[in-house]
Amino acid sequence: MNLSQSLRGYLKPFTESVLAILIGVLVGAIVLWASGYDAIAAYKALVVGSVSSLTNFAQTLSQSTPLILTALTFAVGSRTGLFNIGAEGTVYFGAIAAVGISQAIPNPLSGIIAGILVGALWALPAALLKVYRGVHEVISTIMLNWIAFYLAVWLALSVFVSPSNANRTVAIPPSARLPLLMRNTTLSWGFVVAVLTAIVVYVIMWHTKLGYEMRANGYNPRAAEYGGINPKAAAIWSFVIGGMTAGLAGAVQVMGVPPSYAISQGLANVYGYGFDGIGVSLVGRDHPIGIIFSGILFGALGAGATKMQQAGVPLEMVKVIEGIIIVAVAIPGLLDLINRMFRRGRV
Amino acid sequence: MNTGMILGLTLGSLAAMVPIVLTSVGAAISERAGVVNIGYEGILMLSAFFGTITAELAHNGWVGLLGGALTGIAIGIVHGVITVYLKGDHVIPGIGINLIGYGGVAFGILAYWGTAGQHQVAPNAQIKPLWMDAFGNSLSPMVVITIAVAFIAWWVLFKTPFGLRIRAVGENPEAADALGVNVELYRFTAVLIASALSGIAGAYLSVDWLGTVTKTIAAGRGFIALANMVFSGWDPILSLVGGLIFGFFDNLAIYIQNNPWLAGTIPWQFIATLPYLVTLLVVAGIIGRARAPKWDGIPYKRE
Amino acid sequence: MEERTPVLEMRDIVKVYSDGTRALNGVTIKVYKGEIFGLLGENGAGKTTLMKILFGMLKPTAGKIFFQGSEVHFKSPADAIARGIGMVHQHFTLVEVFTALENIILGKEGHGLFSKIDVKNAKKKLQTLMDELNFQVPLDVPVENLPVGIQQRIEILKMLYRNVDVLILDEPTAVLTPIEVKELFDVLRKLKAQGKTIIFISHKLNEVMEITDRVTVIRKGKVIGTVNTSDATPQLLARMMVGRDVVLRIQKKPHKPGKTVFRVEDLWVKGDRGEDAVRGLSFEVKAGEIFGIAGVEGNGQSELIEAIAGLRDVEKGRVYLMGKDITGKKPRELYDMGIAHIPEDRTHMGLILEMSVMENAILGMYWRREFSNGWRLIDWGKVEGHAKELIDEFEIVAPGTRRPVKSLSGGNQQKLIVAREVSKRPEFIIAAQPTRGVDVASTEYIRNYLVKLRDEDKAVLLVSADLDEVLQLSDRMAIMYEGQFMGVVKPDEVTEEQIGLMMGGVSQ
Repeated sequence: MNLSQSLRGYLKPFTESVLAILIGVLVGAIVLWASGYDAIAAYKALVVGSVSSLTNFAQTLSQSTPLILTALTFAVGSRTGLFNIGAEGTVYFGAIAAVGISQAIPNPLSGIIAGILVGALWALPAALLKVYRGVHEVISTIMLNWIAFYLAVWLALSVFVSPSNANRTVAIPPSARLPLLMRNTTLSWGFVVAVLTAIVVYVIMWHTKLGYEMRANGYNPRAAEYGGINPKAAAIWSFVIGGMTAGLAGAVQVMGVPPSYAISQGLANVYGYGFDGIGVSLVGRDHPIGIIFSGILFGALGAGATKMQQAGVPLEMVKVIEGIIIVAVAIPGLLDLINRMFRRGRV
Repeated sequence: MNTGMILGLTLGSLAAMVPIVLTSVGAAISERAGVVNIGYEGILMLSAFFGTITAELAHNGWVGLLGGALTGIAIGIVHGVITVYLKGDHVIPGIGINLIGYGGVAFGILAYWGTAGQHQVAPNAQIKPLWMDAFGNSLSPMVVITIAVAFIAWWVLFKTPFGLRIRAVGENPEAADALGVNVELYRFTAVLIASALSGIAGAYLSVDWLGTVTKTIAAGRGFIALANMVFSGWDPILSLVGGLIFGFFDNLAIYIQNNPWLAGTIPWQFIATLPYLVTLLVVAGIIGRARAPKWDGIPYKRE
Repeated sequence: MEERTPVLEMRDIVKVYSDGTRALNGVTIKVYKGEIFGLLGENGAGKTTLMKILFGMLKPTAGKIFFQGSEVHFKSPADAIARGIGMVHQHFTLVEVFTALENIILGKEGHGLFSKIDVKNAKKKLQTLMDELNFQVPLDVPVENLPVGIQQRIEILKMLYRNVDVLILDEPTAVLTPIEVKELFDVLRKLKAQGKTIIFISHKLNEVMEITDRVTVIRKGKVIGTVNTSDATPQLLARMMVGRDVVLRIQKKPHKPGKTVFRVEDLWVKGDRGEDAVRGLSFEVKAGEIFGIAGVEGNGQSELIEAIAGLRDVEKGRVYLMGKDITGKKPRELYDMGIAHIPEDRTHMGLILEMSVMENAILGMYWRREFSNGWRLIDWGKVEGHAKELIDEFEIVAPGTRRPVKSLSGGNQQKLIVAREVSKRPEFIIAAQPTRGVDVASTEYIRNYLVKLRDEDKAVLLVSADLDEVLQLSDRMAIMYEGQFMGVVKPDEVTEEQIGLMMGGVSQ
């Protein structure tokens, strides 16, 4: 009885997410076609590149790894009533931290811990500005993302630059890397770390007092305060936990992805995951378990994009599709709306 | 400091002010009517791109601005329908719009011009400056127009029936509705005005100020404009002041990077953080006093 | 009765809400030009629903409306106003940051959407209106800085500026002091003299007797009868209004109060706008006693409750619970020390509507050991057991403990709050507006429960705008006015007139 109750509760958001994805794919096809590309060929390449073989699917899972972690940042924020879009900048610092610490203490655990700690630290400015100065987190986190970008570029190219290659940082030593799960792919234990983190976040949000406090604050800060919850603490924790998963994303991304195991010029291999994580979270309905699945879907888009690029379609097209999916997710009652349209069509 | 440098910095600040103020003024109108949009960054991106295309097709920068405005309006329609008519969340669509903006422009530059990441706007598609000196300092007519727009927007908001209704639907839509003010229509109109202004700002980036389209051309200005809107207390005329401050630091970063004798002393990346750092500090100092419209970002449904 | 044709007739109006509640069961009323027509009924009788239908805010399920000789279908308030029917709601619909002038002219500013508003002309028109009615309103001050009495006049002016012929006033005296009520009645009489028709909605017998010409009484969505006020007596109207139904009578045995549980000393609290909302209050509540605070809303009651419940800063003064200084303590500490708080705002404070019934059942006590398992995680099995206990004990009608609490009716939501607060096993209970907007059965249940708590030697602080509630339940009561007590009295030793004076700021 209770099980079917909660299942039904999940079914509608799930269907709406699927619908939003379909809309993204459809409108994306129109854009492709209008730009003079063969949409079917492009999508074919996308599917082939992401799921056609075990190797390709491993690529998909590898791509989903940082996305799952940055999506958790947004989800924890969203559940607390915060629009935390600061994962992007935090990822850079998580990666830098892993590169830095691994030179001194070369084992995987130190990199992961450093990423998490630095992520928590970088979350503090936005958290404190929000709680004590009332600065809206959308503005502060975006500004901090840009600041993080330039500082990370400087750190990467001035402090941690590789002595042999001025276009990237020093590499993570082999003993500090995350072992691969599958040979000749980029799928490492990082994916397992991401999934475990999602489960931990789920437990925090739904089975601890802190999670109860954060969610209560997210729905209604006034009622939460009445209920004995400290809204400031709830908000700060939300930023900090979000910072941790984003920092971890950056660390895992450099520690687990061959061949370079380093940050490349312009932060190219750690750039964009924070923003994409927002979409992953929205499609996953801000739920850690939903995020694992939508993370894999976005990972597939990322993995397939490379193949699509080889077929002649610029891979940035995938970002457009993701954007359209998010806009579609924002349409309230999408399911009811489409139902109504069909009913009207039949009459 | 010499006079040439002062002149250069002043004109540069004014040029950098234009996109921020146009977007801030639009955002202020939209939020006064109760609609939040964080997708201005995406609008700036896409209208810089489509503005360039239309300008190059017409061999006329002004047509490019029109193209930018229309691009903005098209995006505004999507945002307006979702937020005003379907009563959806005001923030999420903007996230999507920004993603489409960044992805779409990178894709579009490749797809349309076949170059990666950047396209130089044809000289005959750029807006001619009002005044220019031998060192490349110039004054765009858009500076004058932007200042005029801020004053006109203020006048319309605070002196005309239209403005009274815009403010009423953002402060208390129930009261406005009861007196026959069409809440949805005024909110939607405000969204369109905002996106059109932001669209013009985007086209200005490419066909006037920078003379190029890049895949990161907006560079956070959509968000700086939102910060400026808060800073100016949702007041179009005051947004000129904030716009100048933000414009100064935005331009200063570019200016220092282009002056090797200065850039040598500090890493350029530190200077590049200036506009964002200043925005943060200013907003942190100002909030608390600023008071947003009461129904800002809240969908209005009749009982 | 009379042969005249009514200016307004609502015929056989039925209203069934989407959740199945039948608010109106075929109500017919006739209103004649130039009269003050009273619509009398208890809370929840359907008065406001009927008027919202007339004003175009709700669609009737069945029935017809005739106005000035023809059938009308108003789709919105604006439609109704355009045809000459205006309404002043119990809760004003004013744009707080706008001036009176801006509020009044909104939507009817003059010609040209983009031309300058002709302020001078609008002011002149308004001045004429105000002179005719012999009252003044400052036109250039933001209305949020004006007292409610003035705000009400602005609402009336707003309608008159639109030349309405019929003016509906929904419980207009609820927020007014007796002096303001007198002034309002003067205005209404002047309007009547000008030929306007007024519909006066109230549940207060004396006011209906004083101001109306005819009155229709409705009860539970049905018309009980219509009488000329001159032929009526308060006793007759009361019988019609309440009917043969048993009046809510609370069984209250005498009970001897014990030692002081809660004490407040020279308490000062600031309101949202920085004004002194509570000004030097001192009082105590004893074990086995209900101490009631009555008064017109907005006289500092909310700020007082929030300050003692840890939700608002105390400027000056001390608060003690069982001898311990609790000034400035946070809600969580207060609950652990034995305070429970039934907040006045059920939907915005007492509950988190989107969260489930069981999640709401532990709000304000979720940290307690009894809800944790060995891993220090929340044990949802125990929480569910607790929620079921509350539901059983208070006979709460809930579709399930895992459903969002917003799926409960208002009365059941309120019962859940009361049940939860009582389950904290407190020594001192703050009950703010405990039965506002709650159905009759739940009201009775909650009131009896408060008395039961008192009989179990708990200390109860009752704050309510419902004077009858305070009179019925309290052992001692205070009347609050502008942040101070006008007097502390025993309900059975005070006359209605004395209370009226105190509510209006005359200290006893």
